[in-house]
Amino acid sequence: MGGPAWLTAIFAAASLAVAVYCAGRLVVARRGRRPTELDTDGAHVIMGVAMAGMLVSGLHTLPSAIWEVVFTAAAVWFGCRILQGRRGAQPSPWRSSHPLPHLVECAAMVFMFLILPASAAAGAATSGMSMTMTSTESTFSFLTLPLALYLFGYVVCLGDRVTLHARAPALATAPASAESGLRPGYGSGSPEPARPYLAPRCAVVCKMTMGITMGYMLILML
Amino acid sequence: MSESLAVGRAQARPAGRAGDTAGVAALDARRKLQLALGVIWVLDGILQYQPSMFTQSFPDMLAGSAHGNPGVVAGPITWSASLIGHHVVVLNAVFATIQLALGLGIAWRPTLKLALAASIAWSLAVWWLGEGFGGILAGTARPVNGAPGPVILYAILAVLLWPADRDPGAPSVAGRATGHRPARAVWLVLWGSLAAFALLPSSRAPGAISDMLTDGADGAPVWLAWIDTHAAGALNHHGLAASIVLAVLLALVAVAVYLPAPAFRTAIVLAVVLAAALWLAQGMGELFTGMATDPESGPLLALLALAFWPAVTRKEA
Repeated sequence: MGGPAWLTAIFAAASLAVAVYCAGRLVVARRGRRPTELDTDGAHVIMGVAMAGMLVSGLHTLPSAIWEVVFTAAAVWFGCRILQGRRGAQPSPWRSSHPLPHLVECAAMVFMFLILPASAAAGAATSGMSMTMTSTESTFSFLTLPLALYLFGYVVCLGDRVTLHARAPALATAPASAESGLRPGYGSGSPEPARPYLAPRCAVVCKMTMGITMGYMLILML
Repeated sequence: MSESLAVGRAQARPAGRAGDTAGVAALDARRKLQLALGVIWVLDGILQYQPSMFTQSFPDMLAGSAHGNPGVVAGPITWSASLIGHHVVVLNAVFATIQLALGLGIAWRPTLKLALAASIAWSLAVWWLGEGFGGILAGTARPVNGAPGPVILYAILAVLLWPADRDPGAPSVAGRATGHRPARAVWLVLWGSLAAFALLPSSRAPGAISDMLTDGADGAPVWLAWIDTHAAGALNHHGLAASIVLAVLLALVAVAVYLPAPAFRTAIVLAVVLAAALWLAQGMGELFTGMATDPESGPLLALLALAFWPAVTRKEA
């Protein structure tokens, strides 16, 4: 991307840190049977790695085509979650309760990977960084700004929800997500003692970090 | 502090989780507008992180706002632009981070007042040192180029959206913090001044508006360039007529604040439409050029207009 090397490195480091932390959340949640949004954390793991690779050439891992497939699949997953929610499916503490922002994030990743190849060669040659991209001449350039604004709105709304002087809630694991296929205590349905949600503040900070970083990447595409 | 932090709404829902909120007041109209202001500040911060802002283009742009201003105004602009030019990377990073922090500060309720107060101070400083008071003193202020300076609108919004209830019975959000009369005065002065700016010689010159539209098309994506180019073609050599029409519409919006609520609502819709038209004329703040530091005045004028939307009274209901 086209920003100063140290700045893109900071954003890449932030997205990688989120990826590593979310991977840790998945492990801790499984071992400690502490509820966390498995789909969100999983998405953030792959998203963090992919974004770091887009920002810094040295962190490039997989070809764009593979990432496109991965994020399309993730978008389909979150899309299905939205449809299930509208059909009145019982919410599970192990899945995202607000899948729309994650659907938009995945769609934004697919969008960026589709836009990138056209300008990647020129950017890599001139900046030494992974990619320099612009969507201005793309047919779908009108999507860039709304996507960025949506993500900034998401970040701000998340910030609004973080409160002071309120105790982190202790949550009972949700009953009966029969379709989840998880063992008891892992979102499958048997009554469990109340367990606090796994580090809710850190989860929100991760979401905000990803939103800001992805918004930055989209703004660079303007 | 982290131990006392929590993510809300989870307590209110049995299957709550991160991202939900507990103990958080509902989003009333004022809070929604505050969050919208926060979004624009976050956008500003990220725009300030654009690569071109770390080059000499940024201080050069700032220095350009000194042109035509009196010496007492232009001197500090030139000085600050020179200072920034010597430390452009560090200072631009600081500026960007400040704006990002203002947006996040407005979003986070415990720091709302601090962030709004800081945004007022920041806006006033940038209005002088970054925008040369929007060209008001230089005689170059035009609604189409963002007069009276987009950044002063941030300060006005921060005041109007201040979380206080000096006049809880005010018919609109804008009047709650300052009182209904001062808020109406702000509306009248703002939109009235825009109408006056539309009639300045710099605005009513034959090619004034069309030239601005043509400039807005530079570097814009195809669809926006198409809009601006065609609008410029239609308005070419009709600068005077376009300025008069614009001034009349802006004046109508200005005085409508003293009309009954139904008529004022119509004026607010007109204000939002005008703000959108101005934004398109401004090339959507030149966001697509890589040189934009903010989205220009259009979105802020629209946000400000919405803050004045009168609530439905019992009598109307």
